[in-house]
Amino acid sequence: MSNSGQQRSDRKPIFNRMFIFPIIILVIYAILFVISPDKAGLAIESSGNVFLSMIIPLSLVFLIMLLINLFLKPAAVAKFLGKGSGIKGIVLSAAAGIISTGPIYAWYPLLKDLKEKGAGESLIAIFLYNRAVKPFLLPVMISYFGWVYVVILTIIMVIASVIVGFSVSIFTSSKGE
Amino acid sequence: MKIAVSADGSNLDAKVANRFSTAEYLVIIDVDSGDFEAVPNPVTVRQHGAGVQAIVLAVGKGAKAVLTGYCNPAVANQLKASGVEVLTGMTGTVRDAVEQYKKSSYLKAPGTHYSSMASMMSKDVFLHAVRSAARQFVTLLPVLIGVVLLIGLFDAFVSRELLTSIFSGNVALDTLWGACFGSIFAGNPINSYIIGGELLKYGVSLFAVTAFIVTWVTVGLVQLPAEIAAFGRRFALLRNGLSFLLAIPIAIFSVLILNLLGRWIP
Repeated sequence: MSNSGQQRSDRKPIFNRMFIFPIIILVIYAILFVISPDKAGLAIESSGNVFLSMIIPLSLVFLIMLLINLFLKPAAVAKFLGKGSGIKGIVLSAAAGIISTGPIYAWYPLLKDLKEKGAGESLIAIFLYNRAVKPFLLPVMISYFGWVYVVILTIIMVIASVIVGFSVSIFTSSKGE
Repeated sequence: MKIAVSADGSNLDAKVANRFSTAEYLVIIDVDSGDFEAVPNPVTVRQHGAGVQAIVLAVGKGAKAVLTGYCNPAVANQLKASGVEVLTGMTGTVRDAVEQYKKSSYLKAPGTHYSSMASMMSKDVFLHAVRSAARQFVTLLPVLIGVVLLIGLFDAFVSRELLTSIFSGNVALDTLWGACFGSIFAGNPINSYIIGGELLKYGVSLFAVTAFIVTWVTVGLVQLPAEIAAFGRRFALLRNGLSFLLAIPIAIFSVLILNLLGRWIP
């Protein structure tokens, strides 16, 4: 692969971190299988059922992820962010938050840099809030809660992001003076 | 058409920098008008993310080609995926490189430059997208599997009574509890949907579950130190605090609207 050694070593901590939680759960299972095998078996069975119910939504998740990767590039997302002012800036930051992928800590350095370059705090707050709206996860959300709920919550979340964005910038600027 | 040249200095007589990612400047030249602009690269030492900054600069300035000495293959792929042509092995001054580029592009038949539509459809770009989707998907799986296994444990060992003792049916209190639980952890929203969906089956109200889903992503006590380090204490505390407070009216509004609409939409 074309990855340099440096990149690989940077990825390692994230790689390890994401295994901590499932390993803890597996250890709990191992202990429970010794103490109470019947109930542990039941637990495995209901986990299996949850998995089965998720196969179709998860396949759709992969498909939408693929489409997003195909048509939206990280560089384009970064280009949106912090650009423009007024309504345009809000819409672009919200859109960037919605289409951004990957863990949030991967985005902190880039956002920090944008802030230093003058992107408003309100726009960064809007970006962070809209990370809650993830198009590729909609199949899973819809399978659990139904599409009407998903549409309502998504719209309200985008509106709320603007409220949080502006409140943050008002409070930070008035305290800063 | 604009092109970006990695450079050691801020004018056309500066030397072409050997490494694109860590060049001191990117000189953006409009090859048609000859106008240029030198943009300092924020990252000039080799560190994680150096390439990303330079990509953002080049793409953000609307460059259609990058001329440089050497470009890391991962960075080059990203540039190509964004519709930017990458030409390495450039030496001499920025002016020389631009002349060289002009000559070579005159030799090419018209239309050989990557247009963004064409690059989207190329095989390389497709494979790249499949690989990154697979990577994103795989990084999502360990925690997801952990969450599903945890739900199994919950199912087998936690009684309905325990949950109903926490979520008593009082809308305001349940919503507050939901928001509190969601605030502790932070992570991929998919896990909050699964946990929320299962809580619903246990009879927990949609108000509480919605507050849980909302704070899961918007408030994160676990990641608060990282957010403070990146944006400052005031910003991070304010943003998390406001997001938490807002989660409660959001949950109540969403469910009330859902109930209202439910009368018209079956």
